[in-house]
Amino acid sequence: MDSVTSFLSTIVENADKPNEGNAPSSATHAPRAQSVSAHDFPLMPVGEAYDMGHAPDGTPLIDPRIFNSAEFYRNPYPYYKIMRDHYPVFFDKLHNCYYVTRYDDITTCYFDDEGFNTIPKGSSSGVLGNTQLELSGVEHRRRRNLYGQHLVGKSLDNRMHAIESIAEEMIADWDNLDESVVQDRNGVRSVAIGKAFANEFPIRVVCDVLGFPKESRKNFFYWYNSMMSGLGGSETHHQGLEARQDLEDYVGTLVEERRAHPTYLYDAAGNPIGKDIISKLCETQIDGDYLSTEEITSNIALVVGGGGETTRGAILNMWYLLLQHPQQLEAVLEDPEAMWDVAFHETLRHSTPIGGQPRHNSFDIELHGVKIPAGSLVNMVDFSANHDDRIFNDPEAFNIFRPDLYSGKLLRSGFRKEGKCSHMAFGVGPHLCPGAWISHQEAVIGSKILQRHLKNPRLNVDKMPKDFDGSLMPIGLISAKEVWIDYDLE
Amino acid sequence: MSTTEATRAAAGTGKPQDAAAPKITYGRNGVPITPGGVKGHGFRTYEIHQRERLGQSTAKIKPAQLISPDFIRDPYPFLEILRENYPSYRDWLENSYWITRYDDVTSIFTDDANFETRPRRWFYNIADYGRDLRQELPVLFAQAKAIDGNAQAVAEEIVSDIRAKGGANLGIDFAARFALELLVRQLDLPTEDAPKFCERYWRMTHGFNVDPVAEQDGLAAIRELTEYFRPLLASRRANPGDDLISAVAGLDLDGGPATAEDLVVTLLEGDHETLHGGLANTLFLLLTNAGEFQKVKDERRMAKFAFLEALRHSAPVLSARRFARHEVERFGKLIPEGGLMICSAGAANRDPRQYKDPEKFIVGRKDLCQREPRGQYRADGLPAGIAFGFGKPSRHPAIPEDRPRSMYAITRDTATTALNVLLDSFPDLHLKPGAKPELRSLKLWDTHTCWDLPVEF
Repeated sequence: MDSVTSFLSTIVENADKPNEGNAPSSATHAPRAQSVSAHDFPLMPVGEAYDMGHAPDGTPLIDPRIFNSAEFYRNPYPYYKIMRDHYPVFFDKLHNCYYVTRYDDITTCYFDDEGFNTIPKGSSSGVLGNTQLELSGVEHRRRRNLYGQHLVGKSLDNRMHAIESIAEEMIADWDNLDESVVQDRNGVRSVAIGKAFANEFPIRVVCDVLGFPKESRKNFFYWYNSMMSGLGGSETHHQGLEARQDLEDYVGTLVEERRAHPTYLYDAAGNPIGKDIISKLCETQIDGDYLSTEEITSNIALVVGGGGETTRGAILNMWYLLLQHPQQLEAVLEDPEAMWDVAFHETLRHSTPIGGQPRHNSFDIELHGVKIPAGSLVNMVDFSANHDDRIFNDPEAFNIFRPDLYSGKLLRSGFRKEGKCSHMAFGVGPHLCPGAWISHQEAVIGSKILQRHLKNPRLNVDKMPKDFDGSLMPIGLISAKEVWIDYDLE
Repeated sequence: MSTTEATRAAAGTGKPQDAAAPKITYGRNGVPITPGGVKGHGFRTYEIHQRERLGQSTAKIKPAQLISPDFIRDPYPFLEILRENYPSYRDWLENSYWITRYDDVTSIFTDDANFETRPRRWFYNIADYGRDLRQELPVLFAQAKAIDGNAQAVAEEIVSDIRAKGGANLGIDFAARFALELLVRQLDLPTEDAPKFCERYWRMTHGFNVDPVAEQDGLAAIRELTEYFRPLLASRRANPGDDLISAVAGLDLDGGPATAEDLVVTLLEGDHETLHGGLANTLFLLLTNAGEFQKVKDERRMAKFAFLEALRHSAPVLSARRFARHEVERFGKLIPEGGLMICSAGAANRDPRQYKDPEKFIVGRKDLCQREPRGQYRADGLPAGIAFGFGKPSRHPAIPEDRPRSMYAITRDTATTALNVLLDSFPDLHLKPGAKPELRSLKLWDTHTCWDLPVEF
């Protein structure tokens, strides 16, 4: 019976060989080598998935190590397509989580406030504090409205002029920026609109709406960057905590002042239109008691965090995509009042700045034949929902004229209207991003003003970041890193 | 001006923060906020509050290192960093908690109320495939009987093959083969079926890891084994013997008579990794530690202690997984419901809080329980090495005598028998000159053992 171990020699021999990738189950069924490294997966042409093997019935397999790889961060959509088509609920053993990838499933889960109630504890709360991200039901609703009401409707309409003047101010400042951001050559100006505009513009707007003094703007940028990069267990978590403490110290001072002397926001004519958000939060009561400084800080931290990266990504992605599709750009420039809104929504569908939202399920559930025990980490992949060809025809194409995308005002109570579907970039349901509308206004107003200044804009391909393999870094998991635009000065 | 006022003044001026420069600021109560540890009085989650109270950061290790090729080869340096710095490390990448100190690991193993084990079937997403019958008394008796009755004979047969060949790789030719052949004897399979069965069994028990191709292989093996066992189970039901298949065939439980699926699941949920890996690691450690090897040669009763010490020093199953049944506060953290606890036997077994010179392989060490290699068992007031990672402890303790011995005891005795047969046959057993054996896992989460141990005699 010496041969009972003969198969083992092959397994041991093969263990050191590099991953063969697309090798299907061999005749001997010897398991492949398994070394975990981002470099195991070569970069694929955008839109193509690396072949991770096949089941006997031909179903493509997903190797969870792909989620750690550079390839995935550069090129996630084809992998999500495999998951949508073959594993609507994918259990990732390596990262101990589930991925839900179809549009309909995700909307169902988002609306199920009871079954999928919160984001995982600790993933954001360490830095941001107890925010309504971790609440559900009534508790969630009434806290959300504390500041949510200031980001929409009339209170926002009254602030449009402030958004415009911030944009104008920033663009006027371009003349003073150094060579690394703005370069003039022969009547042509090259500008990195990330560094020169989009990175900071949304932060300044949020700072203004919250009612922070102008001089705190630079600090604000530091708080924002540190807190955002310090979420969850990230390696800069510590820095995030420091920033949080710093913000809290600052807000503490501010709150004490505002409790005694509230400050106001003013309309274009200089008349007070109401208290700013901090002053309002100072006099807000819940259960007969005023909000504590910590609570106010947490609310502010969430607005700070939510208002930056997303809008920045939307502006950069929108310009990058439009400049690559000149006909669509032309249509937008010809009819800015109508088309920037449309372009904004298609951008968010095509290149969502935020990949999705995590949830914990409150009880055992079974979805598409996969049993998910209570308390599992379930990732709702907005990315994937927005590219679901069950909803959007030819989802990989950027097409602002697409008839199946709803691009009216954002839907909170539903996601289908007039036979069209909304994109998922802001989520749907109770946790729909409360800053969706202000973000929309920032991106559209900012772009309209950019349009006025940028004559004959075109992409400066030479200066664009080239991070992967010599090819242009496309719009990836978060957003375009930087977009260089050339335009004529005269 | 008080420090508090200074802070407010500084904050009010709105100076940009310079992340590169060392920054000393003060919290509202005048407590310094230093880069080494944030000492604020503001909002903190419980976890962060505890971490700061203890002065911990997580800067010394990154989660990606815990699945790196270096870790797969030799996890001990990484585990030491975790154990000595972050005893309940929150691993956000793999969404788990690493528990690395001896008392912490055993406290989870014995806490059935708060932590649960998930079966291997669940990892395969075939939770309903069959029933796990390992705890049924007829199965346990058949298993114990077959192992006790065959261990000596199997070891002798292997030794005579090795002698005929004039040399061997003990890792595979002895340790792995011994464990697999004992399994074949338990099932009383026809000799000609043994190689095919062993190969399928291996694929099945090694398929529930992160490699999707291996998982498909494992699933295919499960189906193949089921079809292979179906007729066998029927014929043993008609003509029962005293083997494991007959014991399963004779079971008629609440859910109906046992099926081929049940038998396969029973095999899947059990494992032979500790016997195989433990034997290989014992031989590796003896052959590379001349002084300890001499102890065993001089006094043969030390063979048992060598095996137990090897399981402590180099556990083949490096960690076990437990899931929190509900939200529970442990180890300074609030573990959410469903939280995955990686209970690291490798780290706990080398915890200097329990063992003197834990990195040393000392046969017969005075601070190790010399009975069963079972972490939750503190007979004689001494800690035992944690070696049996997966699964729940047996429902049936080793006493009273009319019940089977625990599998831990059976494994220990069987391994000791095999070691004694080997040492009796080859008094001058030594490594092949030039050989550089090492312990390693072939894959992430796989047995950490010696695969290449060439010897001469």
